[in-house]
Amino acid sequence: MNELKQGDKITLTSGGSVKIEKELGRGGQGIVYLVDLNGQKKALKWYLNPPDEKFYKNLEHNIISGPPSEAFLWPEYLTHKQKGSYGYVMKLRPANYFEFGNFLLAKKSFKSYSAMLAAAIKITNGFMMLHRHGYSYQDLNDGNFFIDPQTGDVLICDNDNVMPQGEKSGIMGKARYMAPEIVAGGVPDKYSDRFSLAVILFMLFYANHPFEGAKVVACPCLTEAFEKKFYGSEAIFIYDPFNKENLPVKGIHQNVIRRWPAFPSKLRELFQQEFSQEKLKNPTQRMVDTLWEKQLIGIRDNLVKCPHCGQETFLEEGSTCMDCGKKIDASVKLKIGSRQILLTKGTKIYIDNDNKPDGEVVAHPNDPTKLFIKNLTDYGWTAETPSGKIKVVDPQGVMPINPGIKIAFSNAYKGEIIKEG
Amino acid sequence: MSLLDEQVSVPRRTMTLFFLIDTSGSMEGNKIGAVNDAVSNVLPMLDEISAENPDAEIKVAALEFSSGTNWLYSEPKLASDFVWQDVKAGGLTSLGEACQELASKLSRNGYMKSASGSFAPAIILLSDGGPTDDFESGLSKLKANNWFKAAIKIAIAIGDDADKDVLKQFTGNSEAVITVHNIDALKQIIRIVAITSSQIGSKSSAAGDTTKQDQVIEEVKDAVENIDGAEAASAVDSSSYDDDWA
Repeated sequence: MNELKQGDKITLTSGGSVKIEKELGRGGQGIVYLVDLNGQKKALKWYLNPPDEKFYKNLEHNIISGPPSEAFLWPEYLTHKQKGSYGYVMKLRPANYFEFGNFLLAKKSFKSYSAMLAAAIKITNGFMMLHRHGYSYQDLNDGNFFIDPQTGDVLICDNDNVMPQGEKSGIMGKARYMAPEIVAGGVPDKYSDRFSLAVILFMLFYANHPFEGAKVVACPCLTEAFEKKFYGSEAIFIYDPFNKENLPVKGIHQNVIRRWPAFPSKLRELFQQEFSQEKLKNPTQRMVDTLWEKQLIGIRDNLVKCPHCGQETFLEEGSTCMDCGKKIDASVKLKIGSRQILLTKGTKIYIDNDNKPDGEVVAHPNDPTKLFIKNLTDYGWTAETPSGKIKVVDPQGVMPINPGIKIAFSNAYKGEIIKEG
Repeated sequence: MSLLDEQVSVPRRTMTLFFLIDTSGSMEGNKIGAVNDAVSNVLPMLDEISAENPDAEIKVAALEFSSGTNWLYSEPKLASDFVWQDVKAGGLTSLGEACQELASKLSRNGYMKSASGSFAPAIILLSDGGPTDDFESGLSKLKANNWFKAAIKIAIAIGDDADKDVLKQFTGNSEAVITVHNIDALKQIIRIVAITSSQIGSKSSAAGDTTKQDQVIEEVKDAVENIDGAEAASAVDSSSYDDDWA
């Protein structure tokens, strides 16, 4: 063991050094210390047993290339090899972000469905950007995310196993999150990342594991041999429409039993497809990250505030509020390309995919039946009325929700108010 | 947000950590003192590991054996509920009986009845001598038990009088027998073995790893290298070490 102590100076390959202040936590591979870098507080991950030269070179390469997106707590500086090991410096995690495990243990919970969807979209977008940069993550599991329960913002950590697609980090992954082909002895790649991503998303929405149902609970002792079956060769999705052997069990898998029927049918279809026997056995058929993102955004477009009770609810064709059960009129929509965003009073509108609301549906102060979109961005929108008049909607300004109005939010996003029926 | 507010914890499998502690007369003095100290100090750490772990809930069971056997609690307990009562040394070394006793509890009708199932247990055997009863028949009964077969088994040999051959038969692997030669090493090894065994199911594994027991052995061996007075069985000839128990 090569532990460091308070006051130790660790030199960086970029010049300068960090000073150890205290231990923040330890995991399987190493210890994370709070350090001081020229007056700035940072985190140093220090390996207890230094991985090999190839690993060191890979870290060096990743630091030079930079993070794929701002979601990553990416390595920023590499240390020289010293004191029998080495490590890397990264940003500190802010105090309002909590480990995903805390959400699974119900110690933390999302404050809203919008926060939950924001987290799902941010994670998906992070891995999309990572894969787009030619990397694979290789060890995607519940320990890799810190999430703000209020906003759903996500930080992805443990980025030291990130390797160029096709190269091995030597890590197989964590049981219950590994793709079946990795459980069987394969090498992690972007296809197995996609499987692990789907498992994480499922757990984020339903707070139970997608392969742990009656069949798995019936096994008194999960030995390594059974683990290989239940998460590998004989994995069965708990809601596999063609195989009811592994359904969730009342009193044990409470969260998924409550949420599965209540959450959008689109979500059910997505997981039934992704966890079908066909896709479990054919990694290359798994849905690509961009499609995941698109589908999740589509689900958010159907998340509205109930005008009766004020709670958030997912709306589907002719459906009612999940909370108060009253019928909601969502016939007026904002159409952007193939997307249709439902417009009810109080609903936040997300135009692009940065997870920040760009607009909000508000009522006229003197006539609550008249609805408007308020511009929450810091730039003006250009609207065109059905009669051809051009209006500018300034930041904090409003525009009426009248069918036929066309809006240019930016060059990339153009929409139109439509009314059904 | 009723659905989000009603969320309950994910179901976790239980991982029971068994301590089998030799409390025969030869353990008297600073050896039993060190065991009491180490186990009572490791319990809060196990509690923390369990509380933060979405994969497994860690429970603890402890069996002391001397002229007979005694479970400290009649069921496995969460570390936070496990109040450690110091064990006292005196009497013979009924390891055979301890094996029989353990075998009787390693079943769904015994200690392994968690509703959401269990992981294979981890069993830590501590001894400073050799069995004084019919060890072979006790062990053969235990070895027929499927829970035991799948368990992570580590033995800590306290000093050179410990019968390492017996401990090797118990663990099924000479590398799973760690010898300690002083009080500090004993305390550290108890902590390392208990913590490593409890965490092993929640770690990412490296390619080429075989069983969980092997992974625990690997990690414990790495730790042992840095502890004065501790050695993995296959490492150095123990006769070159001075036994400083006296």
